[in-house]
Amino acid sequence: MKLWKKLSLITAAAATAAVGLSGAAVIHSSFVYHEKRAAESCMEQLCATANALGVELENSNVESFGETTKYSYTNYLIRKYGAQQYILLQDGEEICNLTEYRLTPSSIKKWQQETGYGVIQTVGNKRLFIVGKALMADLTKGYSLVLVSDISEAYGECKRQAWLLFLALFGCTAVTVPVVFFATEKILKPLGELKDAALDIRNGNLGRRANVRSKDEVGVVADAFNGMAGRMEAQVEELAEVSERRRLLLGSMAHELKTPMTSIIGYSDTLLHVHVREEQRQSALTHIYEEGRRLERLSAKLMSLIGLYENESIVLEKTDMGVLFERVRKLEEGPLAQRDIRLEVSCRMQEINGDSDLLESLLINLIDNAAKASAPGTVVRLLGKNHEIVVQDEGFGMPKEEIARVTEAFYMVDKARSRKAGGCGLGLALCGRIAKLHGAQLIIESEQGKGTIVRVRFED
Amino acid sequence: MRILVVEDDPSISELICMNLEAAGYTPTAVFDGIEAQCLLRSGKADDAALALVDVMLPGRDGFALISDFLKVQIPVIFLTAKADVASKVHGLKAGAEDYIVKPFEVLELLVRIEKVLKRTGRGRTQICIRDVKIHLREHKVTKGGIPVALKPMEYELLVTLARGRNIAFSREELLNRVWGLDYMGETRTVDVHVGQLRRKLDFYDIIRTVPKMGYRLED
Repeated sequence: MKLWKKLSLITAAAATAAVGLSGAAVIHSSFVYHEKRAAESCMEQLCATANALGVELENSNVESFGETTKYSYTNYLIRKYGAQQYILLQDGEEICNLTEYRLTPSSIKKWQQETGYGVIQTVGNKRLFIVGKALMADLTKGYSLVLVSDISEAYGECKRQAWLLFLALFGCTAVTVPVVFFATEKILKPLGELKDAALDIRNGNLGRRANVRSKDEVGVVADAFNGMAGRMEAQVEELAEVSERRRLLLGSMAHELKTPMTSIIGYSDTLLHVHVREEQRQSALTHIYEEGRRLERLSAKLMSLIGLYENESIVLEKTDMGVLFERVRKLEEGPLAQRDIRLEVSCRMQEINGDSDLLESLLINLIDNAAKASAPGTVVRLLGKNHEIVVQDEGFGMPKEEIARVTEAFYMVDKARSRKAGGCGLGLALCGRIAKLHGAQLIIESEQGKGTIVRVRFED
Repeated sequence: MRILVVEDDPSISELICMNLEAAGYTPTAVFDGIEAQCLLRSGKADDAALALVDVMLPGRDGFALISDFLKVQIPVIFLTAKADVASKVHGLKAGAEDYIVKPFEVLELLVRIEKVLKRTGRGRTQICIRDVKIHLREHKVTKGGIPVALKPMEYELLVTLARGRNIAFSREELLNRVWGLDYMGETRTVDVHVGQLRRKLDFYDIIRTVPKMGYRLED
């Protein structure tokens, strides 16, 4: 059952029950009041009649009358006082009864008490109030009077009221039910909009928001819902972007693997099946070895790149840049000297918050890149000042339009030259990632034929 | 017979050249698109019978080069790492004779080259191995000018081995190529025919048995 139906039914039922119960209570109390009033007035009437009757009986000395005379006299007296309402008893015997009511012998004793005793009985469709009392005078000892009064009228009044109440209840229900129906439906209408929005989102329309302007609880829920949808949409977009980047990375990786694979498979196939000259055989073996090494380098770089992608944050510790620069100088001086390239290191930097291993790898990658682009006899400079590390070379440089793409994985400006120098297109992607993890910017300036400057700018 | 090899990766270029040379062709390596274009436009490559072209080349890519090749009527086989159907369709529609995806098998490459040469009317008419000449049109074999009588299957086997000279064939491969896929014979048949060829042509040191592989014709 729908919430608005439930709510309106419950409200209508509660209202009807409340009205019915309170009405019933009012009717009941008024009935009790009426009955009590009737009983009191009957009692008063009985007392008055009993007194008067007692006096008359005393005065007339009824005991001295004969049986028949006595009967006629009492009949006369009862008629005189109360028409057909009274029963006169003497010593538990009815001596005069003009009512339609017959006393049962077992109940007779009750009517002979001095204080008076009353009871309500239903006879046929009539409600009778029967009250009896002993006559007070000495002479009339043994006489008692019983009053039988019809109080059906009080019940009739009650019935009328109950009927009225029923009508009132009907009216009340007839009014409340539709009013509550429409009101709850209107109040809960925003819930429908919320449901539609949720369904739309489920069907893939992630940009959908619930259009609920009310400020009540439903409005609060709608606001929370919209907030959730917004966050979710942003997250989904982010995920899509990440997976797209992964896809591109995988695609270029597969392509990058294909070239060395083609060489290795082709040369070994040739060696297995083809009769070649000895020097060609040597050359084929050399190629297989070199391509194997290239694959190994590629996999090592990829491993570290994937490692860096999986770590969203790294532990930053105070790193003395002077020590780091010295270590990098020791590592790189030899290999660069072999290619007749001089490495100049100057550090005017203090400590920096960073991971010294990653920073070392960053510097070594940058210096290697610089050296690969440099001709023999030139200089590669590693400078540190304030919050900036600069790696500068006097090499080939690169065209402006390439600069934006060089940090993409597997992007190489000059494929042939890069491969010859043992590059695999991942160095700068690695550097970019390390810089990002340190909250630093990688700024590349380059002019073709003059050289390249790479700046790693740390935040203050 | 000259074949142009347009490939930017030096090691793959050398690999292809090595195999072409072993199979009896004369390869010419070209390392980028612009160099290839210059070579074609200067007319220095007119004697080439075929070109093996990589698609992703520095300078101009292989698809852009194809019109220059078609102008001087050199058939083109694309040899590339681009394995997607769209690239294949594009390459073949642009006018290439064939499209081979890297990594490739040497034997397959040579067979495809042979097929393209035959289709474009550049197939060899005779093959010489020392003093033995195979006249492909006449289905005749002479040794030192004197005709040698070979049975049909012996002739087919000789031609298959000679076309893939310096390349080892397994016995199964020879059975399939010479006798056909539906031939139910045993690899023993191959051995018998090879023995006949060796005896009739005095090819004892030319048709070599390659241990665990099969046979190879070396010159």
